[in-house]
Amino acid sequence: MSKLTHHDLITLLLAISVMLIVSRIVAEAGKKIGLPMVMGELVVGIGLGPTIFGSIAPAAHEALFPLATNANVSLSLDAITSLSVIMLLFVTGLEVRLPLVLKQGKIAITTGLGGMILPFITGFAVAWLFPGLFASPASGARHTIFALFLGTALSISALPVIARILLDMNMLKNEIGMTVLAAAILNDLVGWIVFSFILSMAGQGGAAFSLNHTIFAIAAFASFMLVIGRFIINQILPWAQTSLSWPGGVLSFSLGLGLLCAAFTEAIHLHAILGAFIAGIAIGDSVHLREQAREIMHQFVTNFFAPLFFVSIGLKVNFLRHFDPTIVAIVLALAFLGKTAGAGLGARAGGMPWRQALTIGSGLNARGAMEIILGTLAFEAGIIQQPVLVALIVMALITSVTSAPMMRYFLRSPTAG
Amino acid sequence: MHDTPLKGRPPYPFGTIGVAVAFSPRLDDVLGEAKILAAACSAQLILIHIGPRTPRNETTLLERCNLLGIPSHSMRIIWEGGDPVPTLLDCCKQNGVDLLVLGALRRENVFRYYLGSVARGLSRAAKCSLLLLTEPNVSGTTFDKLVVCGDKNPKTIHTMNTAVYFGQLLGTKEISVVSEFDQPGLAMAMADHSTAGQASTTKSQMSSEAAATIHNMVCLCAPGSITISEKTIPGRPGYAIRQYAESCKADLLVINSPDSRYGLMDRIFPHDMEYILEDLPCSVLIVHSRVS
Repeated sequence: MSKLTHHDLITLLLAISVMLIVSRIVAEAGKKIGLPMVMGELVVGIGLGPTIFGSIAPAAHEALFPLATNANVSLSLDAITSLSVIMLLFVTGLEVRLPLVLKQGKIAITTGLGGMILPFITGFAVAWLFPGLFASPASGARHTIFALFLGTALSISALPVIARILLDMNMLKNEIGMTVLAAAILNDLVGWIVFSFILSMAGQGGAAFSLNHTIFAIAAFASFMLVIGRFIINQILPWAQTSLSWPGGVLSFSLGLGLLCAAFTEAIHLHAILGAFIAGIAIGDSVHLREQAREIMHQFVTNFFAPLFFVSIGLKVNFLRHFDPTIVAIVLALAFLGKTAGAGLGARAGGMPWRQALTIGSGLNARGAMEIILGTLAFEAGIIQQPVLVALIVMALITSVTSAPMMRYFLRSPTAG
Repeated sequence: MHDTPLKGRPPYPFGTIGVAVAFSPRLDDVLGEAKILAAACSAQLILIHIGPRTPRNETTLLERCNLLGIPSHSMRIIWEGGDPVPTLLDCCKQNGVDLLVLGALRRENVFRYYLGSVARGLSRAAKCSLLLLTEPNVSGTTFDKLVVCGDKNPKTIHTMNTAVYFGQLLGTKEISVVSEFDQPGLAMAMADHSTAGQASTTKSQMSSEAAATIHNMVCLCAPGSITISEKTIPGRPGYAIRQYAESCKADLLVINSPDSRYGLMDRIFPHDMEYILEDLPCSVLIVHSRVS
């Protein structure tokens, strides 16, 4: 059995501690000027990675992050970042409360659909018609997969950053805030399921399975977990919370189930993220899950796994070398126009006045961490090249930072009404 | 037959009370309850049976009414055929029924719950207020303690006033107005950005806002001799108040009618009233306030 050597272990622990400590310091500093935590974590990744640290002090960089030369450390870090992304999807699922979509009714559905359909169509069309702009193949399955991916990447929203923006603007409980949240839930649910489908199409996880098999497997797994799985969870959770150690019992059960579902979906040639995401929905929807347990899971994942994942992106990608202003400009234009207009039109169709509808569209435009996760997974699956990943990351950060000012503008603007 | 449309009419007084009559072992109990309610509200009573109008059924119903002392001049009997839920709804609409009274099991079996029982089906779609009696009694249920859902909704003030009206007529001693505090996305929003102080301040601020909302509504009520208390409880709307009503042994839970017509998806992914219909904690009054 291959084992980490004494030196490997020290290197791995040092790398993790540097990633955690430096990202926390930078993210806290960024927070003071109103930047999202994920931006600080990405900046640290860029600083510690080949873009800056690697080019200034290559020897020191290689000693701390020997990703290219030490297979053991590289594999261990890869396992940790894979676990991180699975856990991130799991806690995202915890907040996907489908009943909220039903409760908000027509407006949530029209807004959610508008916020998905227009960005998807525009993204798909541009990627399909101009693959050369993105250095993507101009024909064959890869061409289709890339077009599908870009459409999906532009249609997704980021629940965590949206919830944070609404909280800061004291809009979490009003009609606009609830509509944005419900539509974001719908966007994320559909977006991640479609993305899992794209990843399966791209041949992730082994043998290439047929389209019908993939669609059937996703539908069957999601339906089983959201109907029968939820019923079983609702029977087990009250027992786990009262009979087992608190909060250890419920945390072990929830996280264990998330990983079990992730393993299952990976085994049936869907991506592990789908299992974790759907398990998160099934657990998070339970009325028996105490708020404290939910908070602990969020804290643990957001403050341990998330920094490791986002810093690791900067370690793998040279942002300066792969920054292509044309691709960034196209992705940004598509993202802003597609999401703001699509969700805005959807909200208007749902009966919202224009000004509020555009406020909702601006709120849903924040892509945040979810877009970065999506881009990274697509990059690792070989669907996109580094310039597109960099463009998606830049877009995620800019949309997250501009979302709140845009919402304020539309709320104040008399002409938009 | 009245042609008065229900739309636009205030939820109380209950001028016309309908009773969904089923020839079950609980027939006398439901009729007894309806008689007491009609007397208390000075309401006209309409007994509605959806099913075959046979001589035997007619005789049985008249006999039961006579035995219970329901005066024939203050009640009418309507016999209709067809699907019970839409037919009952139509009857209520045609006859301007303000309150429909019916017996309901605390918990339906899974099959019946998902396919829809009459009581649950009416609760999801009725255009008038509904009183679901879980343990009807021929000599009348006591409604000493009422729990009223104080959700932030334009309908709530009407629901509270209806609860007070109902309580005053039926000798209620205590009304608890309960607001459920639940914020989807809050745990996620505060996970990485908030210090311990900010997190607790945010939560207590939200809780205080919920408490202030119900306090403002309670101030608009005139409860007379009834004691009104206010409470904010954490938890999922519908589920939390169901647990609360059960734990405080409420006699009646008073809630708003749903904002939209609930369907099968609402049963699969329950929310709000659907949690209550899953497992009735006590008798339930669903107030249809008909606000535009």
